[in-house]
Amino acid sequence: MTGVGFAKETGTLAAAGQYRRPARFQPLRFLKGVFVYGLLSLAAFVSIFPFYWMLVGTTNSAVDIVRGKANFGDHFWINVTNLFAQVDIPRVLFNSFFISILATVLTLVISSAAGYAFEVFRSRFRERIFAALLLMLSIPFAALMVPLFVMMAGVGLINTYTAVIAPAIANIFIIFYFRQATKAFPSELRDAARIDGLKEWQIFLRVYFPVMQSTYAAATIIVFMLNWNNYLWPLIVLQTNDMKTMVLVISSLASAYVPDYGVVMVATVITTLPTLVIFFILQRLFVQGMLGSVK
Amino acid sequence: MSGVELKGVRKSYGALEVIRGVDLEIKPKEFVVFVGPSGCGKSTLLRIIAGLETISQGDVIIGDRVVNDVDPSKRGIAMVFQSYALYPHMTVRDNMGFALRFAGVPKSEIERQVREAARILELENLLDRRPKELSGGQRQRVAIGRAIVRHPEVFLFDEPLSNLDAELRVHMRIEIARLHKELQTTIIYVTHDQVEAMTLADKIVVLRDGVIEQVGTPLDLYDDPANQFVAGFIGSPKMNFLEGVVENGSLLLAHYDGQKIPLGPVSGKVPDGTRLVAGIRPEHFGPNGSARLAVTAEIVEHLGGETFVYAGNGGREILTVGMHDGRAFKPGDKFEAAFDPAKLMFFDSQGLRVS
Ligand SMILES: Nc1ncnc2c1ncn2[C@@H]1O[C@H](COP(=O)(O)OP(=O)(O)OP(=O)(O)O)[C@@H](O)[C@H]1O
Ligand SMILES: [Mg+2]
Repeated sequence: MTGVGFAKETGTLAAAGQYRRPARFQPLRFLKGVFVYGLLSLAAFVSIFPFYWMLVGTTNSAVDIVRGKANFGDHFWINVTNLFAQVDIPRVLFNSFFISILATVLTLVISSAAGYAFEVFRSRFRERIFAALLLMLSIPFAALMVPLFVMMAGVGLINTYTAVIAPAIANIFIIFYFRQATKAFPSELRDAARIDGLKEWQIFLRVYFPVMQSTYAAATIIVFMLNWNNYLWPLIVLQTNDMKTMVLVISSLASAYVPDYGVVMVATVITTLPTLVIFFILQRLFVQGMLGSVK
Repeated sequence: MSGVELKGVRKSYGALEVIRGVDLEIKPKEFVVFVGPSGCGKSTLLRIIAGLETISQGDVIIGDRVVNDVDPSKRGIAMVFQSYALYPHMTVRDNMGFALRFAGVPKSEIERQVREAARILELENLLDRRPKELSGGQRQRVAIGRAIVRHPEVFLFDEPLSNLDAELRVHMRIEIARLHKELQTTIIYVTHDQVEAMTLADKIVVLRDGVIEQVGTPLDLYDDPANQFVAGFIGSPKMNFLEGVVENGSLLLAHYDGQKIPLGPVSGKVPDGTRLVAGIRPEHFGPNGSARLAVTAEIVEHLGGETFVYAGNGGREILTVGMHDGRAFKPGDKFEAAFDPAKLMFFDSQGLRVS
């Protein structure tokens, strides 16, 4: 976001510069340019370098990586073969996708409906309930972990997909996000739909959902990443190897007695790809959604 | 076609009562316009008729049905909103056909209805566009088309033209009048615009603070307002109000340097010492009037056809004088504004008309 703001500002600065005397050298303006571009380059470097390091790592042996070798090597296929030999990657990927997709879909359905309802239905207790929800955001997950585990054990759900997905569905932050977004949803559109004969749930499905696409796109990315990268809770409830997710695999590879960092890097790249792909697919809508436009 | 009747309708938001007992009868095919200052409850009343707001008390009757608990879609009404409220993700065709599709009308019939509405509103070439690809006027016509397609008994319009520029507004106003002739439906129309109200309405309802001040034909309200509020609200530019005290059978004005004007229609009916407000419309000044008021022009507006002079005489009140031959006027000119005392209206200290 700040990157965009910066780019805009320098853009107008440059444009303004053209209209004033372009020939004269202006030291202050020049220094400002140097400073801004320096800062941008630094930011770009800081955010891109880990990706570069990760990619380089996949092609080097563990020894080279530990030594800090920063250029591409020829160990790629060996690392890949090793990874597939050590871990049932298709199964683990399936687990990750299954959990993340199902959790994302359910979260979006439940939490967006809740956010919509909070904004649209008037009730005496609405604000109090909502405040209570927001307050719950401040309870750290570590404090919920043990009781949650005991609960799951009580109903025999340990080591199941349900145990991972169920607690994720009612996402308070996403409810909040959708409530805020709903404030920008024109109420006259809802009135028009009511006159056209739609019930509230039909308005939600047939008008709200298509109109709020970009909000959903942004939420999809956020929720998918949250679930895809979820670590602590799956670590506790998923106990057998055939239930593990990619993130758990990376961590167990990395915490082996002698970690093979080349293999870890390959696993990391595989884990990073889906979120990148989803981000690029939904990117345009995502930006709109974060800016909160309804159109 | 159905009429609409409101009986003792009240509406509160929490402790705040915004509609405070409204009784109103609207005949079938009538074009009724709600006017009133901002926040007086026009939209709320319209939404109550539409069924978008529940009422705290009273009855809403459409046709011969009490519809207090009837769903908006089953009341036989259609509404056109100020913001148009078109579904942004649908084409014009789908926007107009949406309600029918929802009511289970067969596809071919929907298409026929949509075409018919598109023909009436000259939208045939735009059926496959989305709302954001349309101009304001076109969007407004689609919104009206969406209402027409439902064949309502009663059309409800909430300031439908206020987002359009002046020229388009005139054009759409004529369209709506034509539409009323063609469709022969009952129309209830909310507006801020004097001209819309005066030209479109069979009957104007003036609201203030959630109560009806007066109901009547446009010219009735103009010629014979029941109180000072209605007198000031109907007519543009506004009626002039001159405060004064009755003395020896004429009104001693408070803000015109002790000048007096005759009591016209109320002469002999009010005792000396009564405080009255005299009302005279800007267009009722003319060279042949027998009563005169000496004033000094402060601001002069030449509109071409007519001239409005805003004049005073040292006091707090500003007199608006309309003239047809006022091109020679300049600020600072002293003149005598002449009028026919028969045109005066008088209001007592409660604002009620004295006659
Ligand atoms: N949802 C609501 N909650 C509380 N008060 C409301 C609500 N909707 C409207 N009001 C109040 O009801 C009163 C009437 O509002 P309404 O919208 O009917 O006015 P209006 O005559 O249409 O005004 P305008 O000409 O500005 O559109 C106002 O005082 C408004 O503040
Ligand atoms: Mg209104």
